[in-house]
Amino acid sequence: MIEVHDLTKDYGPRRAINMINFTVNKGEVVGFLGPNGAGKSTTMKIITGFMAPTSGLAKIAGFDVFESPLEVKKRIGYLPETPPVYTDMYVQDYLKYVAELKKVPKEKIKAQVDMALEKTNLGSVQNRLIQNLSKGYRQRVGIAQALVSDPEVLVLDEPTVGLDPKQVAEIRDLIKVLRGHHTIILSTHILSEVQAICERVIIIHQGRIVAQDRIENLAVQNQGQSRLNIRLRKDVSDLKTVLGGIEGVVSASQGASRHDWEVHIRGTDEVVDAISSRVVQEGLGLLELSPHKVDLEDVFLKLTYGQDQMGVQP
Amino acid sequence: MTGAVTIFKKELKGFYLSPSFYIIGFLVAVVLSWSYPIQLNLFSQLLANYMFQQNLPQQQLNIHYALFLRHMSYLNLMLIFVVPALTMRLFAEEKKLRTFDLLLTSPVTSSEIVLGKYFAALAAVGGMVFLALLYPIATRTMTQFNWAPLLIAFFGIFLVGAAYAAMDMFCSSLTENALVSYGTSVAFNLSIWFIGAGAELTDSQAVRMVFEHISMNTHLGSWAEGTIRTSALVFLFSVIALFCFLAERVVESSRWR
Repeated sequence: MIEVHDLTKDYGPRRAINMINFTVNKGEVVGFLGPNGAGKSTTMKIITGFMAPTSGLAKIAGFDVFESPLEVKKRIGYLPETPPVYTDMYVQDYLKYVAELKKVPKEKIKAQVDMALEKTNLGSVQNRLIQNLSKGYRQRVGIAQALVSDPEVLVLDEPTVGLDPKQVAEIRDLIKVLRGHHTIILSTHILSEVQAICERVIIIHQGRIVAQDRIENLAVQNQGQSRLNIRLRKDVSDLKTVLGGIEGVVSASQGASRHDWEVHIRGTDEVVDAISSRVVQEGLGLLELSPHKVDLEDVFLKLTYGQDQMGVQP
Repeated sequence: MTGAVTIFKKELKGFYLSPSFYIIGFLVAVVLSWSYPIQLNLFSQLLANYMFQQNLPQQQLNIHYALFLRHMSYLNLMLIFVVPALTMRLFAEEKKLRTFDLLLTSPVTSSEIVLGKYFAALAAVGGMVFLALLYPIATRTMTQFNWAPLLIAFFGIFLVGAAYAAMDMFCSSLTENALVSYGTSVAFNLSIWFIGAGAELTDSQAVRMVFEHISMNTHLGSWAEGTIRTSALVFLFSVIALFCFLAERVVESSRWR
């Protein structure tokens, strides 16, 4: 449904995105993940035909975004970072206007507006001026605006920003409902959001895609590895030497102080057992030992900040 | 073209359903209600005493010259400042509120966006010109005059307003600050008014002809007597077409910049 080939965009001398390639199939929900300034919004703007790429091409439903923009725009609902609402319009009038702009057939407009109002729970404010609405409601008007033309592809740039936790949950439920019927691509830097609603995730960092896979696959990329947080009563200068000789210890790094350590291990409970008994034997005063599964957050941090630290370009 | 119609309707509502339009209209009416009766009074005194006036130009006894032409000059002076106030938001506001993103990701072309907005601005300018036309219409209850030269004159002044609207819309498309848009618009409007003064500067016959063809004063005078000159039409329609085209280019440029 969405095909992106070698997409590159320069802002002056700065390269915002660099040779991005991905495809999204019909009905899929794909999360676009990355730190601030990674190029998420830029990619989305190009997909929606808002901006032209410097090189490369993007296709929606087989139509090239740059060659036949009108065909593409008919099929897309886009929620930019700032919801594009006219503050001096009523919610209902605004949605009607957007529906007309998006070439929704006249006889369907009312039904579509009602549908969008209902899906985003805006019924109670439909006759209010947008300027009198809170940020969360404006965001929802923005989502309703993207939905009102019932587009095949939904491009949502940080859809849950500025919403309270209940609204966030509602929007996630909404996206789950839309799944299958619409192809959805959404950007975020909230990991739990991706885990909750996306089937596939594309991690982008410094304008390049550093990983793209199904969430289950990404989370098991470092399978067998887990992380132990160890808190000790005594100062330890180097836990790694203390733990020397234990099979399965990958690394040990200092946390907030010399009492806190983070140990990466490969292997099963036996390794944890061996570590705990070694620490106790040495009489270091074991206060806490908590194992963590490697999750999406670790993968994400490793792929983005980890590479920065090591100075390795992806 | 349905996109242009949609945008036109929305912008038209934005003009005619907003308080600021009526506040501007009110202020224009205040100024005209002050100036018009004074001119009317002067004219009636002149007519009462014309026998005592020596060497009075014949034109000054004609209501179209002595009254309506002045009324139109005042109206034009006000349009120079009022049209930018109406049009400054057309694009600047869209950019500021980021609603421009919505327009650019909707299945409408740049020319549809520009035309929709331009015609809405024309309707607003038309409203102001109609407001000014009410004064001569009211005068009809007191005296007799020909309708045709009056209507032609107001059609002419509406065309001038339309040229202002095109230039001011272009100014609005350049910035996201409404105030900057207003300032540059006024400068553009004033310059078109003064450009005709260039005729005084030159000795060359050909150059002077050119300046006279684009001089607003010449055009306004001929409209007041009921003449429509092709040179005026060509000039104003060229200005309108040029600036609508430029605005369209600016809108289009944000797609590839």
